[in-house]
Amino acid sequence: MNLTHPFALAWAALAIPIVIFYILKIRLRRVPVSTILFWEQIFEEKRPRSLWQRLRHLISLLVQIAFLLLLVLALAEPFFRWELRQARRLVLVVDNSASMNATDVAPSRLAKAKAEGKTIIDGLRFLDEVAIVSAGSEPRVYCGLTGHQRTLRTALESIQATDGPTRVKDAVALARRLLADHKNRKVVILSDGAFDDAATLAKDKDVELVSVGSRAGNVGITRLQVRRSLLDPIGYQILAEVTNSSDQEVQCRLEATLEQEIIDVVPLKLAPNGKWSQTFEKTSTEGGKLVVKLDHQDALTTDNQATALLPHREIKRVELVTDGNLFVEKVLEANPLVQLNTSKDVPKATPLGTITVLHRKVPERLPNGPVLVIEPAGSSDLWDLGEALQNPIVTKQDKDSPLMANVRLDNVLMPEARKIMPKGTVKPLAVSVEGDPLLCSFERPEGKVLVLSVNLDKGDLPLQTAFPILVANALGWFAGTKGELLEARPTGTVAELEVPAQSPSGNEKDTIALRSPDGADQPVAVNGDKATVGPLDRCGVWSLVRQPAAQASKAKLKDNEKPVLEVACNLANARESDLRAPQELKSRTSIAQAGFGGWPIWFVLIVLAWVLVTGEWVCYQRRWIS
Amino acid sequence: MPAPTKTTPADAPLFDSEFLKKLEYLSLVSRRVFRGSILAQRRTRQLGGGIEFADHREYAPGDDFRYLDWNVYARHDELLLKRFQEEEDLHVYILLDCSRSMGFGTPPKFDFARQVAAALAYIALADLDRVAIVAFAGDIIADLPLTRGKARILSLLKFLEGLSSQGEVTDLGRVVSGFVHRNQRRGLAVVVSDFFDPAGYQRGLDLLRHHRYEPHLIQVYDRTEAEPKLKGELELLDVEGGGIRKVTVTERSLRQYRDIFGRFLDSVRAYGHTYGLGCTQTTTEIPFDELILKMMRTAGAVQ
Repeated sequence: MNLTHPFALAWAALAIPIVIFYILKIRLRRVPVSTILFWEQIFEEKRPRSLWQRLRHLISLLVQIAFLLLLVLALAEPFFRWELRQARRLVLVVDNSASMNATDVAPSRLAKAKAEGKTIIDGLRFLDEVAIVSAGSEPRVYCGLTGHQRTLRTALESIQATDGPTRVKDAVALARRLLADHKNRKVVILSDGAFDDAATLAKDKDVELVSVGSRAGNVGITRLQVRRSLLDPIGYQILAEVTNSSDQEVQCRLEATLEQEIIDVVPLKLAPNGKWSQTFEKTSTEGGKLVVKLDHQDALTTDNQATALLPHREIKRVELVTDGNLFVEKVLEANPLVQLNTSKDVPKATPLGTITVLHRKVPERLPNGPVLVIEPAGSSDLWDLGEALQNPIVTKQDKDSPLMANVRLDNVLMPEARKIMPKGTVKPLAVSVEGDPLLCSFERPEGKVLVLSVNLDKGDLPLQTAFPILVANALGWFAGTKGELLEARPTGTVAELEVPAQSPSGNEKDTIALRSPDGADQPVAVNGDKATVGPLDRCGVWSLVRQPAAQASKAKLKDNEKPVLEVACNLANARESDLRAPQELKSRTSIAQAGFGGWPIWFVLIVLAWVLVTGEWVCYQRRWIS
Repeated sequence: MPAPTKTTPADAPLFDSEFLKKLEYLSLVSRRVFRGSILAQRRTRQLGGGIEFADHREYAPGDDFRYLDWNVYARHDELLLKRFQEEEDLHVYILLDCSRSMGFGTPPKFDFARQVAAALAYIALADLDRVAIVAFAGDIIADLPLTRGKARILSLLKFLEGLSSQGEVTDLGRVVSGFVHRNQRRGLAVVVSDFFDPAGYQRGLDLLRHHRYEPHLIQVYDRTEAEPKLKGELELLDVEGGGIRKVTVTERSLRQYRDIFGRFLDSVRAYGHTYGLGCTQTTTEIPFDELILKMMRTAGAVQ
């Protein structure tokens, strides 16, 4: 046995005054009584033998010296060599993914895992060190290596349930980095085993898997995707997929609602391990919250509902300046989101928010606001018009631009176009073999400008589907992010969202916060007009809210504030919906039984001293010792 | 040996005029209520040449003819001898404990005992009885010889005032054996004491009984003796013997003490009851005159 603080033994010198005080007799208070006849009768009855009496005194002294020595030894903090040799270093990897919210074991798999973790912490030995890492949507160290059990218990308790995917592999890698090359290292995974490679991972030498949960069946919505209809500008196509992750046939019902208005109700009959999917069509200008619900009772409720957000579509005013072109007029008229006004002359001033479409007519200075120029007949402040291009062929097109989504111009016959020579910065979207831009965009402070230099009368562009799509894309591009469909994200993703730059209060110090479906706010760093948020680890609707800088007004606005942006988040993860752990997975719980209570020797010594004092007190009260 | 302690403060005389008034009152009450029951004018059991007729008995040869009842002989032809009860004074001996243990208490038991002794003596003197006071501790310390007549009360009180609680450890046996061997007439022996006798109070009282005295016990104790308010590590000093005892007084030992003390009081009472002796036990809390009246009432009820 070694001592951590050998100098603390000097406190043993306190035994000397104890002995001195013991030898010195204390003068008792003298009280006169009329007779001691009766007192003698009391003490006569149990007058001890003289040997015992002497022993009594000695025992009392010995007890006090033993008490002192125990305390002194505790101060010196003794430890055994084997404690140093056998000290373990553990990392508890707690899976807090979506599948851990399953209630097939009461109260939940995560609670059970925490209880298992607590057992391991309670069974720690002195000098053991433990770290706690979560393996939810983003592996996170909840507590660094420590032997302090209370800290570990608190850290374990603070692990929150998430709806994110399992990242046990990443968490184990993180845990291994924490363990470094310690001799007695071990990664203890507290999980339901419902993740890929669970069985393989459990076979690793330095890994112990404590499995919680049963092979419970589950039915969940594993996909909900919404996209704009290619045919209808205000139409949507909704794809829903349901997976039966159980070994039995399941009958249930799927209900799709938009703002609580039922779109469709589908009765389902799912084969064991079967999948079902269907696409719904829906048109809506108002948009709203699209909820798909599965009417089925199972262990995991998170995947029984999925949400998507359909944007509110605003009617755009379009000022068409043309001498008359049927294609352009019709393509704009056909768009239900367009309120068209046709004129022959370029208006001197356009109302705010109006999109100007110039067909062939180009003023010297382009009007303010967004402008679509088709087949420009002259130069303007942004470009100079060159000679005509004969049979240009599109060889290069910017696929990443939203303007070019679902548009292919490479097989379109375009006998004639005009060469555009931009004066400032231009973004070419479709370029001919010679490198001349046929479709290009300009960014200017007064508004965006899109120029299509192709002659519509010659060629088949107006007859192709690319033309209305291009026009619809252009109208969407002019409108900016407003009205853009934001697809629902799966849980655990980190999303980059565009944030409107202007604060409604005009205060630049206002901050953007991310509000979770639970209502908890967390600040978000905004870089330019983009905010990176996530990981989005709860199902539901996440929103970006603008929070005033002043604390007082913040509280005032809390209830009434309108979110800047909303994004839906769904589990949509077939692996998480499958609650069944691999059959070959075997739980090992040897770790939990390894400890001796984790008490250091000094603590045991203090307890002994306390017991000794209590015993002495009892003996003194009963006059067994004096 | 500890020095004798004067138990009465100098500025508070033990027997003041108020006390004498109370004595007079008690004396009057005693005539009315318990005349001849305990003390004065008690008839002795001796039969002989008195005046008052008591009984007849058969004539035996040698009897004095003068006492033959000739009227009975004339009527019934039977020789019967007339017997008369002889009247004589009652001798009252008050044995007063003057040991140091009597000096204990607030007020001291000794003061109370002297007041009681004085009261009894006054009643006896008023009834023309003879009274003697014997002060004792380990042995007889002081003596007031037999005296008679109410006029002697002052000298009796003076004697009592002159006493103090002193002397050795109470030894009633030794005291009584000295007392009974005196050449004196038998009578009532009132023992005023706490009866804290290490050798046992019974031996002395037995001796009194055996020598045909009529003992009457008055046991005086202080409330703190019955229910001591002690606690903790103490060194108990016996004021009488001077002995020291180190004790640890706990609730439990206090309970035991109360139990033992109660048993002691019971034993004194039982002794009196067994031998048909008058026994009065009192604390010093009640006034002496009340005690005397109580004694009278008890005696009256018995009568």
